[in-house]
Amino acid sequence: MAAGALFRWALLPSPKHLAPPLLRTPRSPLTFARIEAFSSSTSTTNSTTNYLRLTDEELMAQCDMDTFKASGPGGQHRNKRESAVRLKHRPTGIVAQAAEDRSQHKNRASAVARLRKLLALEVRKAIDLNDYTPPTELLQILPAKSTIRGSDVGPQIGPNNPKFAPGMQALLDLIYAVEGSVSEAAKILGLSTGALSRLILSDDSLRMSVNDLRTSKGMRPLK
Amino acid sequence: MILRLPFTIRSTSLLHRRQIRSPSASAVSSSPTTTHSSFPPRPRPQTPLFLRPPAHSAARADLDAFRRWAKSIAITAAPRIAANGGPDADHLLRELSWLVQDATSRPEAAGEVRLRVGLEELYRLWRERIEERKPFQYVVGCEHWRDLVLAVREGVLIPRPETEMLVDMVARVEGFEEGLWADLGTGSGAIAVGIGRLLGEGGKVFATDLSPDAVEVARLNVERYGLKDKVEIRQGSWFEPLQDVKGKLAGLVSNPPYIPNSHISGLQAEVGWHEPRLALDGGKDGTDYLLHLCEGCASALKPGGFFAFETNGDKQSEFIADFMSTMWGNFFENVKIVSDFAGIKRFVTGFHR
Ligand SMILES: C[S@@+](CC[C@H](N)C(=O)[O-])C[C@H]1O[C@@H](n2cnc3c(N)ncnc32)[C@H](O)[C@@H]1O
Repeated sequence: MAAGALFRWALLPSPKHLAPPLLRTPRSPLTFARIEAFSSSTSTTNSTTNYLRLTDEELMAQCDMDTFKASGPGGQHRNKRESAVRLKHRPTGIVAQAAEDRSQHKNRASAVARLRKLLALEVRKAIDLNDYTPPTELLQILPAKSTIRGSDVGPQIGPNNPKFAPGMQALLDLIYAVEGSVSEAAKILGLSTGALSRLILSDDSLRMSVNDLRTSKGMRPLK
Repeated sequence: MILRLPFTIRSTSLLHRRQIRSPSASAVSSSPTTTHSSFPPRPRPQTPLFLRPPAHSAARADLDAFRRWAKSIAITAAPRIAANGGPDADHLLRELSWLVQDATSRPEAAGEVRLRVGLEELYRLWRERIEERKPFQYVVGCEHWRDLVLAVREGVLIPRPETEMLVDMVARVEGFEEGLWADLGTGSGAIAVGIGRLLGEGGKVFATDLSPDAVEVARLNVERYGLKDKVEIRQGSWFEPLQDVKGKLAGLVSNPPYIPNSHISGLQAEVGWHEPRLALDGGKDGTDYLLHLCEGCASALKPGGFFAFETNGDKQSEFIADFMSTMWGNFFENVKIVSDFAGIKRFVTGFHR
Protein backbone atom coordinates (compact mmCIF):
# COMPACT_ATOMS: atom_id res chain seq x y z
CA MET A 1 0.00 0.00 0.00
CA ALA A 2 1.22 3.43 -0.81
CA ALA A 3 2.43 5.45 2.10
CA GLY A 4 -0.38 7.94 2.19
CA ALA A 5 -0.51 10.80 4.60
CA LEU A 6 -1.86 9.99 7.99
CA PHE A 7 -3.40 12.90 9.75
CA ARG A 8 -3.61 13.13 13.44
CA TRP A 9 -6.48 15.33 14.48
CA ALA A 10 -6.27 17.03 17.75
CA LEU A 11 -9.98 17.67 17.82
CA LEU A 12 -11.11 14.27 16.70
CA PRO A 13 -12.37 12.02 19.47
CA SER A 14 -9.20 11.02 21.24
CA PRO A 15 -8.41 7.96 23.35
CA LYS A 16 -10.50 8.18 26.46
CA HIS A 17 -7.67 8.84 28.89
CA LEU A 18 -6.43 11.70 26.80
CA ALA A 19 -7.83 14.98 27.97
CA PRO A 20 -8.25 17.15 24.85
CA PRO A 21 -7.71 20.53 26.55
CA LEU A 22 -4.16 19.45 27.29
CA LEU A 23 -3.39 19.42 23.62
CA ARG A 24 -3.03 23.16 23.42
CA THR A 25 -2.24 24.82 26.66
CA PRO A 26 -1.86 28.59 26.94
CA ARG A 27 1.85 28.06 27.52
CA SER A 28 2.16 26.77 24.01
CA PRO A 29 3.64 29.21 21.50
CA LEU A 30 0.75 28.19 19.31
CA THR A 31 -2.06 29.81 21.22
CA PHE A 32 -3.31 31.44 18.07
CA ALA A 33 -3.37 28.26 16.13
CA ARG A 34 -6.16 25.81 16.10
CA ILE A 35 -7.29 22.92 14.05
CA GLU A 36 -10.52 23.13 12.17
CA ALA A 37 -12.92 20.41 11.21
CA PHE A 38 -11.53 18.31 8.45
CA SER A 39 -13.12 15.86 6.11
CA SER A 40 -10.84 12.94 5.58
CA SER A 41 -10.41 12.03 1.95
CA THR A 42 -6.78 11.11 1.58
CA SER A 43 -6.33 7.53 0.59
CA THR A 44 -4.76 8.49 -2.69
CA THR A 45 -1.02 8.84 -2.90
CA ASN A 46 0.04 12.38 -2.77
CA SER A 47 2.85 14.78 -2.67
CA THR A 48 0.85 16.50 0.01
CA THR A 49 3.11 15.23 2.74
CA ASN A 50 5.79 17.52 1.37
CA TYR A 51 4.05 20.74 2.34
CA LEU A 52 7.06 21.82 4.29
CA ARG A 53 9.22 21.65 1.18
CA LEU A 54 7.04 24.32 -0.45
CA THR A 55 8.20 27.90 -0.47
CA ASP A 56 6.20 30.37 1.62
CA GLU A 57 4.62 31.57 -1.56
CA GLU A 58 3.56 28.12 -2.72
CA LEU A 59 2.21 27.40 0.71
CA MET A 60 0.26 30.67 0.74
CA ALA A 61 -1.22 29.70 -2.61
CA GLN A 62 -2.75 26.66 -0.90
CA CYS A 63 -4.34 28.87 1.72
CA ASP A 64 -7.36 31.09 2.01
CA MET A 65 -6.35 34.22 3.77
CA ASP A 66 -8.68 36.60 5.37
CA THR A 67 -7.77 39.55 7.36
CA PHE A 68 -10.24 39.00 10.13
CA LYS A 69 -13.09 40.91 8.66
CA ALA A 70 -12.19 41.33 5.03
CA SER A 71 -15.19 42.70 3.21
CA GLY A 72 -15.94 45.22 0.54
CA PRO A 73 -13.64 46.42 -2.19
CA GLY A 74 -10.51 47.00 -0.08
CA GLY A 75 -7.50 48.85 -1.46
CA GLN A 76 -7.78 52.62 -1.49
CA HIS A 77 -11.39 52.42 -0.26
CA ARG A 78 -10.53 51.24 3.14
CA ASN A 79 -8.57 52.19 6.20
CA LYS A 80 -9.13 49.56 8.80
CA ARG A 81 -5.56 48.75 9.40
CA GLU A 82 -6.44 45.12 9.13
CA SER A 83 -3.09 43.82 10.11
CA ALA A 84 -4.38 40.59 11.61
CA VAL A 85 -4.02 37.58 9.34
CA ARG A 86 -5.74 34.22 9.33
CA LEU A 87 -4.57 31.48 7.00
CA LYS A 88 -6.59 28.38 6.28
CA HIS A 89 -4.61 25.66 4.56
CA ARG A 90 -7.13 24.15 2.15
CA PRO A 91 -5.64 20.66 1.77
CA THR A 92 -5.55 19.96 5.52
CA GLY A 93 -7.97 22.47 7.00
CA ILE A 94 -5.27 23.66 9.38
CA VAL A 95 -5.68 27.26 10.46
CA ALA A 96 -2.92 29.56 11.64
CA GLN A 97 -3.29 33.17 12.56
CA ALA A 98 -1.23 36.10 13.74
CA ALA A 99 -2.33 39.48 14.97
CA GLU A 100 0.42 40.76 17.19
CA ASP A 101 2.29 42.99 14.76
CA ARG A 102 1.23 46.32 13.29
CA SER A 103 2.30 45.31 9.82
CA GLN A 104 0.17 42.86 7.87
CA HIS A 105 3.29 41.76 6.06
CA LYS A 106 4.89 40.62 9.29
CA ASN A 107 1.71 38.97 10.49
CA ARG A 108 1.56 37.03 7.24
CA ALA A 109 5.11 35.84 7.80
CA SER A 110 4.33 34.76 11.38
CA ALA A 111 1.15 33.03 10.28
CA VAL A 112 3.04 31.06 7.62
CA ALA A 113 5.72 30.10 10.14
CA ARG A 114 3.00 28.90 12.51
CA LEU A 115 1.33 27.02 9.72
CA ARG A 116 4.60 25.21 8.99
CA LYS A 117 4.92 24.22 12.58
CA LEU A 118 1.33 22.97 12.69
CA LEU A 119 1.82 21.01 9.50
CA ALA A 120 4.91 19.45 11.03
CA LEU A 121 2.92 18.52 14.12
CA GLU A 122 -0.26 17.33 12.47
CA VAL A 123 0.67 15.71 9.17
CA ARG A 124 2.16 12.23 9.59
CA LYS A 125 3.89 10.11 7.02
CA ALA A 126 4.14 6.35 7.45
CA ILE A 127 7.71 5.04 7.59
CA ASP A 128 8.99 1.57 6.81
CA LEU A 129 11.47 0.90 9.61
CA ASN A 130 13.14 -1.92 7.70
CA ASP A 131 14.27 0.49 5.09
CA TYR A 132 14.74 3.75 6.91
CA THR A 133 17.38 6.41 6.55
CA PRO A 134 16.74 9.61 8.47
CA PRO A 135 16.31 12.54 6.05
CA THR A 136 18.74 15.46 6.13
CA GLU A 137 16.14 17.76 7.73
CA LEU A 138 16.09 15.42 10.71
CA LEU A 139 19.87 15.05 10.92
CA GLN A 140 20.12 18.84 11.03
CA ILE A 141 18.19 19.16 14.27
CA LEU A 142 20.14 16.40 16.04
CA PRO A 143 22.92 17.27 18.48
CA ALA A 144 26.46 16.86 17.14
CA LYS A 145 27.10 13.79 19.28
CA SER A 146 24.70 11.68 17.22
CA THR A 147 26.75 8.85 15.72
CA ILE A 148 24.78 8.83 12.46
CA ARG A 149 25.16 12.54 11.89
CA GLY A 150 28.03 13.26 9.50
CA SER A 151 30.09 16.39 9.91
CA ASP A 152 28.82 17.63 6.55
CA VAL A 153 25.36 18.19 8.02
CA GLY A 154 26.36 21.54 9.48
CA PRO A 155 25.60 23.05 12.87
CA GLN A 156 22.56 21.88 14.84
CA ILE A 157 19.35 23.76 14.01
CA GLY A 158 17.48 24.85 17.11
CA PRO A 159 13.73 25.25 17.74
CA ASN A 160 13.73 28.98 17.03
CA ASN A 161 15.02 28.48 13.51
CA PRO A 162 12.28 28.23 10.85
CA LYS A 163 14.16 25.22 9.43
CA PHE A 164 13.41 23.32 12.63
CA ALA A 165 9.87 22.47 11.46
CA PRO A 166 10.79 19.95 8.70
CA GLY A 167 13.22 18.21 11.06
CA MET A 168 10.58 18.08 13.76
CA GLN A 169 8.11 16.61 11.29
CA ALA A 170 10.54 13.83 10.33
CA LEU A 171 11.32 13.17 13.99
CA LEU A 172 7.62 12.80 14.78
CA ASP A 173 7.18 10.46 11.81
CA LEU A 174 9.88 8.27 13.33
CA ILE A 175 8.51 8.45 16.86
CA TYR A 176 5.09 7.46 15.55
CA ALA A 177 6.65 4.56 13.65
CA VAL A 178 8.22 3.26 16.89
CA GLU A 179 4.93 3.90 18.70
CA GLY A 180 6.27 6.49 21.07
CA SER A 181 9.34 4.64 22.29
CA VAL A 182 12.00 7.27 22.78
CA SER A 183 14.71 4.70 23.48
CA GLU A 184 14.04 2.92 20.22
CA ALA A 185 14.00 6.15 18.22
CA ALA A 186 17.21 7.20 19.99
CA LYS A 187 18.92 3.99 18.90
CA ILE A 188 17.99 4.62 15.27
CA LEU A 189 19.27 8.19 15.50
CA GLY A 190 22.57 7.22 17.15
CA LEU A 191 21.77 9.07 20.36
CA SER A 192 21.37 8.18 24.00
CA THR A 193 17.78 8.13 25.24
CA GLY A 194 18.62 11.08 27.46
CA ALA A 195 19.95 13.14 24.56
CA LEU A 196 16.87 12.52 22.44
CA SER A 197 14.60 13.32 25.39
CA ARG A 198 16.38 16.64 25.83
CA LEU A 199 15.87 17.42 22.15
CA ILE A 200 12.16 16.62 22.43
CA LEU A 201 11.82 18.73 25.57
CA SER A 202 13.55 21.70 23.92
CA ASP A 203 10.40 22.61 22.01
CA ASP A 204 7.04 22.97 23.75
CA SER A 205 4.87 21.82 20.89
CA LEU A 206 7.16 18.90 20.04
CA ARG A 207 7.13 17.80 23.68
CA MET A 208 3.34 18.01 23.84
CA SER A 209 2.92 16.10 20.63
CA VAL A 210 5.22 13.28 21.76
CA ASN A 211 3.57 13.18 25.17
CA ASP A 212 0.10 13.03 23.66
CA LEU A 213 1.19 9.99 21.71
CA ARG A 214 2.86 8.36 24.71
CA THR A 215 -0.16 8.99 26.90
CA SER A 216 -2.42 7.43 24.29
CA LYS A 217 -0.17 4.34 24.28
CA GLY A 218 -0.23 4.13 28.07
CA MET A 219 3.37 5.31 28.46
CA ARG A 220 4.64 7.87 30.94
CA PRO A 221 5.02 11.40 29.50
CA LEU A 222 8.54 12.84 29.20
CA LYS A 223 9.34 15.48 31.75
CA MET B 1 -13.68 51.28 -28.69
CA ILE B 2 -13.25 54.86 -27.69
CA LEU B 3 -9.92 55.73 -26.28
CA ARG B 4 -10.31 58.12 -23.42
CA LEU B 5 -7.04 59.87 -22.97
CA PRO B 6 -6.47 61.64 -19.71
CA PHE B 7 -5.72 65.32 -19.85
CA THR B 8 -3.13 66.89 -17.70
CA ILE B 9 -5.72 69.53 -17.01
CA ARG B 10 -7.61 67.04 -14.89
CA SER B 11 -4.80 66.72 -12.45
CA THR B 12 -4.59 70.46 -12.11
CA SER B 13 -8.27 70.78 -11.43
CA LEU B 14 -7.97 68.04 -8.85
CA LEU B 15 -5.26 70.03 -7.20
CA HIS B 16 -7.67 72.88 -6.65
CA ARG B 17 -10.19 70.55 -5.13
CA ARG B 18 -7.67 69.21 -2.71
CA GLN B 19 -8.73 69.12 0.85
CA ILE B 20 -7.97 72.14 2.86
CA ARG B 21 -5.78 71.12 5.74
CA SER B 22 -8.09 70.67 8.70
CA PRO B 23 -7.86 73.48 11.26
CA SER B 24 -7.01 70.99 13.97
CA ALA B 25 -3.74 70.16 12.23
CA SER B 26 -2.45 73.69 12.64
CA ALA B 27 -3.67 73.71 16.21
CA VAL B 28 -1.08 71.06 16.97
CA SER B 29 1.68 73.60 16.78
CA SER B 30 0.00 76.22 18.93
CA SER B 31 -1.77 74.24 21.63
CA PRO B 32 0.08 74.51 24.89
CA THR B 33 0.80 71.40 26.89
CA THR B 34 0.90 71.21 30.64
CA THR B 35 4.00 69.10 31.12
CA HIS B 36 5.68 70.91 28.28
CA SER B 37 9.33 71.54 28.88
CA SER B 38 11.05 74.33 26.99
CA PHE B 39 13.96 72.05 26.10
CA PRO B 40 14.53 70.59 23.53
CA PRO B 41 12.76 72.71 20.91
CA ARG B 42 9.31 71.56 20.01
CA PRO B 43 9.43 69.43 16.87
CA ARG B 44 7.38 70.26 13.83
CA PRO B 45 3.93 68.73 14.08
CA GLN B 46 4.69 66.41 11.19
CA THR B 47 7.39 64.50 12.99
CA PRO B 48 6.00 61.02 13.62
CA LEU B 49 5.23 60.52 17.27
CA PHE B 50 7.66 57.65 17.72
CA LEU B 51 10.55 59.80 16.45
CA ARG B 52 10.01 62.71 18.83
CA PRO B 53 12.30 63.09 21.81
CA PRO B 54 10.88 61.87 25.14
CA ALA B 55 10.80 65.39 26.48
CA HIS B 56 7.74 64.95 28.68
CA SER B 57 6.86 62.83 31.62
CA ALA B 58 3.80 61.79 33.54
CA ALA B 59 2.95 59.77 36.60
CA ARG B 60 2.17 56.18 35.73
CA ALA B 61 -1.19 56.56 37.46
CA ASP B 62 -2.05 59.49 35.18
CA LEU B 63 -1.18 57.51 32.09
CA ASP B 64 -3.34 54.68 33.38
CA ALA B 65 -6.18 57.16 33.88
CA PHE B 66 -5.72 58.28 30.27
CA ARG B 67 -5.91 54.67 29.11
CA ARG B 68 -9.13 54.07 31.02
CA TRP B 69 -10.71 57.21 29.63
CA ALA B 70 -9.56 56.44 26.08
CA LYS B 71 -10.87 52.91 26.34
CA SER B 72 -14.25 54.03 27.56
CA ILE B 73 -14.80 56.61 24.83
CA ALA B 74 -13.62 54.09 22.23
CA ILE B 75 -16.09 51.48 23.41
CA THR B 76 -18.92 53.97 23.54
CA ALA B 77 -18.22 55.25 20.04
CA ALA B 78 -17.35 51.90 18.45
CA PRO B 79 -20.84 50.86 17.28
CA ARG B 80 -21.36 54.18 15.54
CA ILE B 81 -17.89 54.07 13.98
CA ALA B 82 -18.20 50.46 12.85
CA ALA B 83 -21.60 51.15 11.32
CA ASN B 84 -19.98 53.67 9.00
CA GLY B 85 -17.35 51.19 7.79
CA GLY B 86 -14.79 52.11 10.42
CA PRO B 87 -13.03 49.84 12.88
CA ASP B 88 -14.78 47.97 15.69
CA ALA B 89 -14.05 48.18 19.41
CA ASP B 90 -11.32 45.52 19.41
CA HIS B 91 -9.57 47.30 16.66
CA LEU B 92 -9.79 50.69 18.34
CA LEU B 93 -8.36 49.22 21.53
CA ARG B 94 -5.46 47.78 19.56
CA GLU B 95 -4.88 51.24 18.11
CA LEU B 96 -4.94 52.67 21.60
CA SER B 97 -2.19 50.34 22.73
CA TRP B 98 -0.15 51.28 19.65
CA LEU B 99 -0.66 54.96 20.42
CA VAL B 100 0.67 54.48 23.94
CA GLN B 101 3.49 52.38 22.55
CA ASP B 102 4.53 55.18 20.18
CA ALA B 103 4.08 57.92 22.77
CA THR B 104 6.12 56.34 25.55
CA SER B 105 9.82 55.76 25.82
CA ARG B 106 11.66 52.94 27.54
CA PRO B 107 13.14 52.44 30.07
CA GLU B 108 10.72 53.88 32.57
CA ALA B 109 11.59 55.10 35.99
CA ALA B 110 9.47 53.73 38.80
CA GLY B 111 6.10 55.45 38.91
CA GLU B 112 7.13 57.83 36.10
CA VAL B 113 6.62 57.48 32.38
CA ARG B 114 8.67 59.29 29.77
CA LEU B 115 6.44 60.65 27.02
CA ARG B 116 7.02 62.01 23.53
CA VAL B 117 4.03 64.35 23.89
CA GLY B 118 2.44 65.92 26.91
CA LEU B 119 -0.37 63.97 28.51
CA GLU B 120 -2.86 66.65 27.55
CA GLU B 121 -1.81 66.29 23.93
CA LEU B 122 -2.36 62.55 24.19
CA TYR B 123 -5.95 63.20 25.23
CA ARG B 124 -6.38 65.53 22.30
CA LEU B 125 -4.94 63.02 19.83
CA TRP B 126 -7.31 60.29 20.93
CA ARG B 127 -10.28 62.65 20.78
CA GLU B 128 -9.32 63.43 17.20
CA ARG B 129 -9.19 59.75 16.44
CA ILE B 130 -12.62 59.02 17.91
CA GLU B 131 -14.55 62.22 17.33
CA GLU B 132 -13.12 63.41 14.03
CA ARG B 133 -12.39 59.92 12.73
CA LYS B 134 -8.86 60.98 11.97
CA PRO B 135 -7.04 57.91 10.65
CA PHE B 136 -4.91 56.36 13.35
CA GLN B 137 -1.86 56.59 11.10
CA TYR B 138 -2.21 60.37 10.87
CA VAL B 139 -2.63 60.57 14.63
CA VAL B 140 0.70 58.84 15.25
CA GLY B 141 2.30 59.99 11.99
CA CYS B 142 3.41 56.59 10.76
CA GLU B 143 2.30 53.34 9.23
CA HIS B 144 3.87 49.91 9.59
CA TRP B 145 4.08 48.61 6.06
CA ARG B 146 6.01 45.49 5.09
CA ASP B 147 9.04 45.59 7.38
CA LEU B 148 9.13 49.40 7.22
CA VAL B 149 7.83 52.10 9.51
CA LEU B 150 6.91 54.93 7.15
CA ALA B 151 6.19 58.51 8.09
CA VAL B 152 2.77 59.69 6.89
CA ARG B 153 0.71 62.78 7.48
CA GLU B 154 -2.33 64.63 6.17
CA GLY B 155 -2.02 65.26 2.47
CA VAL B 156 -0.37 61.90 1.83
CA LEU B 157 -2.13 58.60 1.25
CA ILE B 158 -1.61 56.00 3.98
CA PRO B 159 -0.12 52.97 2.23
CA ARG B 160 -2.45 49.96 2.21
CA PRO B 161 -1.56 46.37 3.02
CA GLU B 162 -2.68 45.21 -0.43
CA THR B 163 0.05 47.31 -2.00
CA GLU B 164 2.76 45.41 -0.10
CA MET B 165 2.55 42.74 -2.81
CA LEU B 166 3.77 45.07 -5.55
CA VAL B 167 7.26 44.95 -4.05
CA ASP B 168 7.23 41.14 -4.10
CA MET B 169 6.23 41.17 -7.75
CA VAL B 170 9.16 43.38 -8.61
CA ALA B 171 11.53 41.16 -6.63
CA ARG B 172 10.45 38.22 -8.79
CA VAL B 173 11.57 39.87 -12.03
CA GLU B 174 14.82 38.42 -13.26
CA GLY B 175 17.70 40.83 -12.86
CA PHE B 176 15.56 43.51 -11.20
CA GLU B 177 18.38 44.38 -8.80
CA GLU B 178 20.42 46.15 -11.43
CA GLY B 179 17.62 47.90 -13.29
CA LEU B 180 16.14 51.39 -13.39
CA TRP B 181 12.65 51.42 -11.89
CA ALA B 182 9.86 53.95 -11.65
CA ASP B 183 7.15 54.30 -9.02
CA LEU B 184 4.58 56.77 -10.34
CA GLY B 185 2.42 58.56 -7.79
CA THR B 186 4.71 57.47 -4.97
CA GLY B 187 2.78 59.10 -2.11
CA SER B 188 4.67 58.32 1.09
CA GLY B 189 7.33 56.60 -1.05
CA ALA B 190 6.25 53.20 0.26
CA ILE B 191 6.71 51.16 -2.91
CA ALA B 192 9.86 53.02 -3.94
CA VAL B 193 11.50 52.50 -0.55
CA GLY B 194 10.41 48.85 -0.54
CA ILE B 195 12.04 48.30 -3.93
CA GLY B 196 15.04 50.53 -3.19
CA ARG B 197 16.02 48.35 -0.25
CA LEU B 198 16.28 45.31 -2.49
CA LEU B 199 18.34 46.87 -5.27
CA GLY B 200 21.97 46.17 -6.04
CA GLU B 201 24.82 48.47 -7.06
CA GLY B 202 23.42 49.47 -10.43
CA GLY B 203 19.75 49.63 -9.51
CA LYS B 204 17.73 52.76 -8.93
CA VAL B 205 14.12 53.86 -8.45
CA PHE B 206 12.69 57.12 -9.75
CA ALA B 207 9.61 58.05 -7.79
CA THR B 208 7.31 60.80 -8.95
CA ASP B 209 4.35 62.60 -7.47
CA LEU B 210 2.47 65.76 -8.29
CA SER B 211 1.70 66.55 -4.67
CA PRO B 212 4.26 68.65 -2.79
CA ASP B 213 3.17 67.00 0.47
CA ALA B 214 3.84 63.57 -0.96
CA VAL B 215 7.22 64.64 -2.30
CA GLU B 216 8.22 65.98 1.10
CA VAL B 217 7.12 62.89 3.00
CA ALA B 218 8.61 60.50 0.43
CA ARG B 219 11.96 62.32 0.72
CA LEU B 220 11.81 61.97 4.49
CA ASN B 221 11.18 58.24 4.23
CA VAL B 222 13.91 57.74 1.67
CA GLU B 223 16.32 59.57 3.93
CA ARG B 224 15.31 57.66 7.05
CA TYR B 225 16.13 54.41 5.33
CA GLY B 226 19.42 55.74 3.98
CA LEU B 227 18.34 55.29 0.37
CA LYS B 228 19.21 58.64 -1.15
CA ASP B 229 21.49 56.90 -3.66
CA LYS B 230 18.88 54.32 -4.56
CA VAL B 231 15.63 56.31 -4.70
CA GLU B 232 15.27 59.64 -6.42
CA ILE B 233 12.08 61.60 -5.78
CA ARG B 234 10.95 63.89 -8.57
CA GLN B 235 7.99 66.22 -8.48
CA GLY B 236 5.70 66.35 -11.49
CA SER B 237 2.84 64.68 -13.29
CA TRP B 238 3.26 60.95 -14.03
CA PHE B 239 5.87 60.57 -16.82
CA GLU B 240 6.73 64.26 -17.14
CA PRO B 241 9.70 64.20 -14.76
CA LEU B 242 11.08 61.05 -16.41
CA GLN B 243 11.90 62.29 -19.90
CA ASP B 244 15.62 61.59 -19.43
CA VAL B 245 15.08 57.88 -18.76
CA LYS B 246 12.41 57.33 -21.40
CA GLY B 247 12.79 53.88 -22.95
CA LYS B 248 15.40 52.85 -20.38
CA LEU B 249 13.23 51.60 -17.54
CA ALA B 250 13.51 47.96 -16.49
CA GLY B 251 10.18 48.28 -14.82
CA LEU B 252 7.39 50.56 -13.75
CA VAL B 253 4.95 50.20 -10.90
CA SER B 254 2.11 52.36 -9.79
CA ASN B 255 -0.82 52.46 -7.44
CA PRO B 256 -2.59 55.40 -9.05
CA PRO B 257 -5.86 56.91 -7.82
CA TYR B 258 -8.49 54.42 -9.03
CA ILE B 259 -11.70 55.05 -7.14
CA PRO B 260 -14.60 55.94 -9.42
CA ASN B 261 -15.70 59.51 -8.95
CA SER B 262 -19.17 58.62 -7.78
CA HIS B 263 -17.85 56.45 -4.93
CA ILE B 264 -15.83 59.20 -3.33
CA SER B 265 -18.65 60.71 -1.30
CA GLY B 266 -19.59 57.33 0.20
CA LEU B 267 -16.12 56.46 1.46
CA GLN B 268 -15.43 55.43 5.04
CA ALA B 269 -14.94 58.60 7.12
CA GLU B 270 -11.26 57.97 7.81
CA VAL B 271 -10.62 57.88 4.09
CA GLY B 272 -13.17 60.30 2.65
CA TRP B 273 -12.80 63.05 5.24
CA HIS B 274 -9.06 62.92 5.75
CA GLU B 275 -7.09 61.40 2.91
CA PRO B 276 -6.26 63.58 -0.11
CA ARG B 277 -8.72 63.37 -2.95
CA LEU B 278 -5.80 63.73 -5.36
CA ALA B 279 -4.68 60.28 -4.20
CA LEU B 280 -8.05 58.58 -4.56
CA ASP B 281 -10.19 60.00 -7.33
CA GLY B 282 -9.61 58.16 -10.59
CA GLY B 283 -12.25 59.96 -12.67
CA LYS B 284 -15.60 58.73 -13.87
CA ASP B 285 -14.77 54.99 -13.98
CA GLY B 286 -11.68 55.27 -11.86
CA THR B 287 -9.53 54.36 -14.83
CA ASP B 288 -8.39 57.77 -16.08
CA TYR B 289 -4.89 57.51 -14.66
CA LEU B 290 -4.55 53.78 -15.17
CA LEU B 291 -5.17 54.26 -18.88
CA HIS B 292 -2.70 57.11 -19.00
CA LEU B 293 -0.10 54.87 -17.34
CA CYS B 294 -0.78 51.99 -19.73
CA GLU B 295 -0.20 54.25 -22.65
CA GLY B 296 2.90 55.86 -21.19
CA CYS B 297 4.40 52.47 -20.42
CA ALA B 298 4.77 51.76 -24.10
CA SER B 299 7.45 54.41 -24.48
CA ALA B 300 8.85 54.52 -20.95
CA LEU B 301 9.84 50.86 -20.65
CA LYS B 302 12.76 49.28 -22.40
CA PRO B 303 12.17 46.10 -24.41
CA GLY B 304 11.39 43.30 -21.95
CA GLY B 305 10.55 45.84 -19.24
CA PHE B 306 8.02 44.92 -16.55
CA PHE B 307 4.94 46.78 -15.38
CA ALA B 308 2.60 46.24 -12.45
CA PHE B 309 -0.41 48.36 -11.57
CA GLU B 310 -2.77 48.19 -8.65
CA THR B 311 -6.44 48.63 -9.53
CA ASN B 312 -9.80 48.97 -7.85
CA GLY B 313 -10.16 45.21 -8.33
CA ASP B 314 -11.99 42.59 -10.37
CA LYS B 315 -13.77 44.41 -13.23
CA GLN B 316 -11.23 47.20 -13.37
CA SER B 317 -8.36 44.71 -13.54
CA GLU B 318 -10.12 42.80 -16.29
CA PHE B 319 -10.72 46.01 -18.21
CA ILE B 320 -7.10 47.12 -17.93
CA ALA B 321 -5.69 43.67 -18.72
CA ASP B 322 -7.93 43.46 -21.75
CA PHE B 323 -6.89 46.92 -22.85
CA MET B 324 -3.21 46.07 -22.52
CA SER B 325 -3.45 42.83 -24.44
CA THR B 326 -5.74 43.99 -27.24
CA MET B 327 -5.49 47.74 -27.79
CA TRP B 328 -1.81 47.76 -26.85
CA GLY B 329 -1.17 44.15 -27.76
CA ASN B 330 1.61 45.14 -30.15
CA PHE B 331 3.59 46.56 -27.27
CA PHE B 332 2.92 44.24 -24.38
CA GLU B 333 2.93 40.52 -23.74
CA ASN B 334 2.33 38.11 -20.92
CA VAL B 335 -0.35 40.34 -19.44
CA LYS B 336 -1.66 38.85 -16.21
CA ILE B 337 -4.11 39.60 -13.45
CA VAL B 338 -2.86 38.92 -9.94
CA SER B 339 -5.17 38.58 -6.95
CA ASP B 340 -4.51 40.13 -3.57
CA PHE B 341 -4.60 38.12 -0.36
CA ALA B 342 -8.33 38.61 -0.01
CA GLY B 343 -8.83 36.99 -3.42
CA ILE B 344 -9.73 40.22 -5.21
CA LYS B 345 -8.21 40.58 -8.69
CA ARG B 346 -6.09 43.50 -7.63
CA PHE B 347 -3.12 43.88 -9.97
CA VAL B 348 -2.35 43.85 -13.67
CA THR B 349 1.18 42.92 -14.66
CA GLY B 350 2.99 42.31 -17.92
CA PHE B 351 6.06 42.91 -20.02
CA HIS B 352 7.01 45.21 -22.83
CA ARG B 353 7.75 43.22 -25.97
C1 LIG C 1 -3.33 55.91 -4.34
S1 LIG C 1 -2.02 57.03 -4.06
C2 LIG C 1 -0.66 55.90 -3.97
C3 LIG C 1 0.47 56.35 -3.11
C4 LIG C 1 1.56 55.31 -2.88
N1 LIG C 1 2.16 54.89 -4.12
C5 LIG C 1 0.98 54.11 -2.15
O1 LIG C 1 0.80 53.07 -2.78
O2 LIG C 1 0.75 54.21 -0.96
C6 LIG C 1 -1.85 57.83 -5.62
C7 LIG C 1 -0.78 58.88 -5.68
O3 LIG C 1 -0.78 59.46 -6.99
C8 LIG C 1 -0.48 60.82 -6.87
N2 LIG C 1 -0.92 61.55 -8.06
C9 LIG C 1 -2.15 61.98 -8.35
N3 LIG C 1 -2.13 62.62 -9.55
C10 LIG C 1 -0.86 62.57 -9.99
C11 LIG C 1 -0.22 63.03 -11.15
N4 LIG C 1 -0.89 63.69 -12.10
N5 LIG C 1 1.09 62.80 -11.28
C12 LIG C 1 1.79 62.13 -10.33
N6 LIG C 1 1.22 61.67 -9.22
C13 LIG C 1 -0.09 61.90 -9.04
C14 LIG C 1 -1.17 61.24 -5.60
O4 LIG C 1 -0.60 62.42 -5.08
C15 LIG C 1 -0.94 60.03 -4.72
O5 LIG C 1 0.24 60.17 -3.97
